[in-house]
Amino acid sequence: MTATDISQRKRFFANGNIYLPHIAVIEKIIDETPGVKTFHFNFKDEKLRKEFGFQSGQFAEYSIFGVGEAPFCISSSPTRRDHLEFAVQQVGKVTNALHRLGPGAEIGCRGPYGNGFPLDFLQGKNLVFVGGGIGLAPLRSLIWNAIDNRDKYENIDIIYGARSPHDLCFKYDLDAWDKDKTINIVTTIDKEDKSWAGRVGFVPKVVEEVAPSASNAVAIVCGPPIMIRFTFPVLAKLGFTPEQMITTLEKRMKCGIGKCGRCNIGNLYVCRDGPVFTYAQIKNFVSSEY
Amino acid sequence: MKNNEIQQRLRQEAKTLLEQGQVEYIVGYETGSLKFTTTPLLTKNKDDTDRLIVNPFIVNNLSVYLTEIKGKVGIVAKGCDSRSVVSLIQDNKIAREDIVIMGIPCPGLIDLKKVELLLSKDRDELGNITRDEDRVVITIDGKGRDFPITEVLFDNCLECQIPTPQEYDILLGEPTTPISGNVSKRTNIKELEATPREERWNFWKEEFSRCIRCYACRNVCPACFCQRCFVEESEPQWILPTPKWQDNLIFQVIRNIHVAGRCTDCGECERVCPMNIPLRSLTRKMYEIVDELFQYKAGMDKNALPLLTAYEPTEAEDFIR
Amino acid sequence: MSGSKIINKKDIGKLLSQWNEEFVILVPSKEGDTTKMAKWDGKDTGFIDWYRNTVQASKTNFFPPMEEMFSFQKDKEGYHIGLASSDKHKQLIFAIRPCDANALAILDVAFKDGYEDPYYLSRRKDTLLIGLGCINPYDSCFCTSLGSSPFDSTNVDIMFTDIGEEFFIEEVTEAGKELVAKTEGLREASKVDEAKASKVKEASYNKVTRKIDTRDIDKKLLACFENKDYWEKVSAKCISCGICTFLCPTCYCFDINDELVRKQGTRFRSWDSCAFPIYTEMPVENPRLEKWRRVRQKVCHKFEFFPMNFGVVACTGCGRCIRLCGVNWDITQAIESVPAII
Repeated sequence: MTATDISQRKRFFANGNIYLPHIAVIEKIIDETPGVKTFHFNFKDEKLRKEFGFQSGQFAEYSIFGVGEAPFCISSSPTRRDHLEFAVQQVGKVTNALHRLGPGAEIGCRGPYGNGFPLDFLQGKNLVFVGGGIGLAPLRSLIWNAIDNRDKYENIDIIYGARSPHDLCFKYDLDAWDKDKTINIVTTIDKEDKSWAGRVGFVPKVVEEVAPSASNAVAIVCGPPIMIRFTFPVLAKLGFTPEQMITTLEKRMKCGIGKCGRCNIGNLYVCRDGPVFTYAQIKNFVSSEY
Repeated sequence: MKNNEIQQRLRQEAKTLLEQGQVEYIVGYETGSLKFTTTPLLTKNKDDTDRLIVNPFIVNNLSVYLTEIKGKVGIVAKGCDSRSVVSLIQDNKIAREDIVIMGIPCPGLIDLKKVELLLSKDRDELGNITRDEDRVVITIDGKGRDFPITEVLFDNCLECQIPTPQEYDILLGEPTTPISGNVSKRTNIKELEATPREERWNFWKEEFSRCIRCYACRNVCPACFCQRCFVEESEPQWILPTPKWQDNLIFQVIRNIHVAGRCTDCGECERVCPMNIPLRSLTRKMYEIVDELFQYKAGMDKNALPLLTAYEPTEAEDFIR
Repeated sequence: MSGSKIINKKDIGKLLSQWNEEFVILVPSKEGDTTKMAKWDGKDTGFIDWYRNTVQASKTNFFPPMEEMFSFQKDKEGYHIGLASSDKHKQLIFAIRPCDANALAILDVAFKDGYEDPYYLSRRKDTLLIGLGCINPYDSCFCTSLGSSPFDSTNVDIMFTDIGEEFFIEEVTEAGKELVAKTEGLREASKVDEAKASKVKEASYNKVTRKIDTRDIDKKLLACFENKDYWEKVSAKCISCGICTFLCPTCYCFDINDELVRKQGTRFRSWDSCAFPIYTEMPVENPRLEKWRRVRQKVCHKFEFFPMNFGVVACTGCGRCIRLCGVNWDITQAIESVPAII
């Protein structure tokens, strides 16, 4: 991250203090799956609402006052600025509290943090998105971004899986992308299910079957750690180099700005130097720490 | 038997245990990296047994490692430590047949903090500390000074009634008797109890204001064997991770309740506290309460049910009214 | 003339009183059987006799065990956030040891890098560090292995050296020079004083006998990162408490938590430690659940990752982690036993 990047972002600090959240209001809540909700929100401050900018792949720290703070990627696209979105799986104290909120509730939000996807690098390339479960959240920001700038990218392939049909997130997106003739999308579930007529199989296996070409392509992978771990070797077999594989890592984070230490792997901080990494950057640490 | 004889025998026994495959690991003490200190030695290598030592500074209660080692262990245990081992057996945390206890009748250990206070010198500024029965000779700049041993033994050693391991496979040395003699101690429960309630509250408030929540007291304690401590629960969050004195106090009070009937008064919690909080004033008090209410001392009988997990309908109940 | 000054030890009280008019002064202080840098009471200079180093490093003064980040309240219009008013004052830490001053320089880097940390940096601003060299280092000290020494004045403003009845005073920074210039009651140092000071420094340097070899340590650690046998052996006796990290002058990991008491909310930050399993715990998995991974993280962060990022080892050799460890886990032994690169 360069000094300019940081000074750019300083515009969004509350009172110049990086740790202070801005007040935001939840406008709409979508039940994605039994354990996942998407929150649409906007900043309370008129000026910030207009000025706030971010890149696909960046995240923010969200506060439920009195409960705590947790990081989630901004799952909406910067090209669609009517509101901001983030998706939350119910797993702990803060996420449980978030799931109890209704429209109109006030939360805190500070950010954006992290590097985001390398748009310059991706332009003119074939994009292969590989997602699992709620891991589609950061990918969908980029997918919509690419769709809204369709002429800047070549083919768009999406391979997305979940445990069961009920666990597929963003079904409205999946439908929209399915209808979009410029996109190839394959959806899969882990195990056979009566209500599912589509493809069955774990994501890495389906990637192997679909076998997207590595030529002028970049694979963008996000999902549960185990899925990421098994997908990289498959992509490598298909000819993707470590530089052609991108992922966005999830680690326990608190501060979001490379200070508190939790998300440190090697000399990198997932929150500060990531969360978007090429496999080349992290492969030394992947085997043992991720 | 002198320490060096005990030490010699220990090394032989430990080596034999490893050689004959009776245990996979030996857990004992070796010379530490700082003057006078000893350090735990956890090894699978029979050659390492030559490093095992026995001296008046073998402070650690090594039973704390038993729950994390996979495989049979030969462990060096003093009186209090052996009871911690038994207590872990009672709680089904370890199996008796997986442990070979090499018991050491303990004549009391030297508290280096007391030595430092006594001489207004730090540990590394002292020449030698030599114990001879009930005396100790400490040299500074070549000059020796002689003190009664009771001046420098740990409080819990001075109050220890069970210095000889109760449960053992090999006893290194002759059974020993409790230390007698009345000396002033840091843990003075009677004095604390005699102070007015408000004063006592302020005392603990001040003490717990220093706590930095490093959890050394908990992690060094063999009785604190929970996979997940209540302080780490977030739903419900019993106390904040933030070291506010109120939360620190609650942490310690609950910890104390959790180890009631398991605490063998080994004193490790107080010894390791970097903020010098007199934790033993709480744990010792609980130890006495347990004894008084239930006539129970932790880790005396491996077949007994753990005190607070067993309930008899005939038990007196006036304490829970 | 060197510009160095001399003050008699008996006059330290007067000196501090003088400075107290402009600065809040922190000195080595006892607090219930433990020690840290705390506000001077205006009288007691007894620390000159008992002070070797404080249990808590001066990081505590800038990055305390817990601090309020902000408060929050809710009314009809919604949430309001309030920053605690920080009392702006110039402060002076007297008798800080070189290792702890060096540690602050390391923390400065970490807290300034990228996003600036307003809490640490605002406390750190307007702070003068008056160093006091060590004439009696502990047997756990190993500063000389880290390019420093008991009299390293790199990161202090003024350096004091104990030459017996008197202190030998050297100005180091411009701010230090300014303060010395307006301080009354100092006399010019003579050649004899200077010689005395050099002798003390040299003698003290040689008293630091604990040594580690830090040449290529980052490369060696990188090479043995996956050496599980080594790390398991090294970590075996660690009990995963927070003593070494909390009391380390350069460790700066923290946690953030909210508290709500009768509708009055506070967000706190508090020390956290990579030694705790829960530190990296995530709902699905924990990348550092095993003890050897956590010990590896601690060692590598100090001797490999931090140097990779900032070009400096995040250890100043103060020896607290060795001195205060309940099981005598010794980082110098760990570093010395890192396998050589084959």
